[in-house]
Amino acid sequence: MAQWKRNLRGEMWYLLFLLPGILLFVLAVLVPLVTGARYSFTDWDGVSPKLHYTGWENYANAFRDSDLWDTLGNTFKFAIIVTILVNILSLLLALLLDTYLKFRNGFRTIFFLPNVISIVLSGFVWSYNYSQGFPNLLRYFGLDITSPLGNPDYAMLGLILVAVWQGVGSPMIIYIAGLQGVPGELIESARIDGAGVFRIFQSVKLPLLAPSITINLLLVLTGSLKVFDLVYVTTNGGPGFATEVISTFIYKTSFANYKAGYGMALSMIFFLILVIVTIVQLAIFRRREVEM
Amino acid sequence: MRLTRILTFALVALLALVFLFPLYVALLMSLKTAQQTFQSFYALPPSLNLSNFVNAWKTSQYPTAILNSLLVTAISVALIIVASALAGYAIARRNKPFYNFIFVLFLSGMMVPFQVTMLPLYKLGKSLHLINTHWGLSLIYGGMGVQMGVLFYTGFVKGISREIEEAARIDGCSTPGIFARIVLPLLKPVTATVLVLNALYIWNDFLLPLLYLQDKHYRTIPLQQYFFFGQYSSDLNLAFAYAVMGMLPIIAFFLFMQRFIIKGIAAGAVKG
Repeated sequence: MAQWKRNLRGEMWYLLFLLPGILLFVLAVLVPLVTGARYSFTDWDGVSPKLHYTGWENYANAFRDSDLWDTLGNTFKFAIIVTILVNILSLLLALLLDTYLKFRNGFRTIFFLPNVISIVLSGFVWSYNYSQGFPNLLRYFGLDITSPLGNPDYAMLGLILVAVWQGVGSPMIIYIAGLQGVPGELIESARIDGAGVFRIFQSVKLPLLAPSITINLLLVLTGSLKVFDLVYVTTNGGPGFATEVISTFIYKTSFANYKAGYGMALSMIFFLILVIVTIVQLAIFRRREVEM
Repeated sequence: MRLTRILTFALVALLALVFLFPLYVALLMSLKTAQQTFQSFYALPPSLNLSNFVNAWKTSQYPTAILNSLLVTAISVALIIVASALAGYAIARRNKPFYNFIFVLFLSGMMVPFQVTMLPLYKLGKSLHLINTHWGLSLIYGGMGVQMGVLFYTGFVKGISREIEEAARIDGCSTPGIFARIVLPLLKPVTATVLVLNALYIWNDFLLPLLYLQDKHYRTIPLQQYFFFGQYSSDLNLAFAYAVMGMLPIIAFFLFMQRFIIKGIAAGAVKG
């Protein structure tokens, strides 16, 4: 009996330790997720106390909603291009900074710097640079340009550049850490065997970097699929519908257009897409990694 | 060999200049008057003129916004650290199905995008009177950050040998005593990681304050900036002075904590 009591007391402390974390998690994630799922089956407008259950109607409407397909197209276009550009550039920077370069810590700081600035600020600074800064600079070279953000054909490209500028920092750090994990003997023996810089990169460094590549592709892709701040503060989806992404679309549907039930159905669909993207990506890339 | 080294340096330096260019324009704008900007866009101002900064300080609620940001970030990060250190320790030391289930629950929670919880959180915040309070916002950040925090702490505690703890238990030390006296001092490195990653994220976050802090007295820096830019879109030099003021605290934090931030990101990648 006394033994049992002591066991319970021992266990009780650990359970108490779990409690604050669980409570916070329930408040910020679990309850909103469950209530959100419930709202997605209603015609709730977001303000009135009354709501009616409409079954799968919101989901059926979503599949017929051409705006949804357009925003999904925009979102994936943005996310895939950003993912590719960020990973190429950050890998290149990591390779350059991994050599015996003067001031390499200073350079690392500079390339990471945009990462710590709030997106509201960088969006503002870039909008201005697009409309005044770059045109004024390029005029010296006889080029005449206008801000891409005002042009439906180039607005997305304009946003992608800002996202790349701001996004290379973290992946670069991860690639540098990955490169530091490549054993020096391997590179040395490849060099003795007559391999050049590119051959060493292709045959030694790249295969050993596979885990870093997997994680970076995943982090940047899921992060860019969720993009909100950058679009909201610079173009707000415009001009027209050119840069409307899924997050801004959900935000507008739920808060500005008073279609909260429908907005929640859209977010549930988006959640499902994210889960599928994550699983597919992990399944593809994990298989290619090599064990040391 | 020497030539490649010089070329590499030139390439990196050029890229660095390209990266710094937008920030240079921002700084340049903040130091000039509208007339000087009009006369020559890229010329340096004839003398150091801080009047834009003085005006921006007066017209914006910069000190209030800084204080709000500091409060929200500090409370949130403290909540995240306490809750995830305790839970991470419990999960790492009790290798039982229930604890593992809780661990998986936290992990799967990380997949839930904010877009899904955004509207219900707003509704919940209204009914629980969390809107326009610092602690209400911090509770939500706490719940969002605790998931990754638990992942970090569980992994870290699993790497600590149990022997000292067992010896302390034989000497009659209780579980909270063991945690406070033996485990806590060992958690410093992982705490630094969790602290910097969450502080950077919360300080810069825009969407949650946009939903939760509608009263202007509670606005954090990014939110206050968003409204300030809208309001002073005609006086760009003033707006840029404000933008530079908004960047300074976080850049200072970054330069000061750089070592931990870089370690934290690298550690986070391994965990993922």
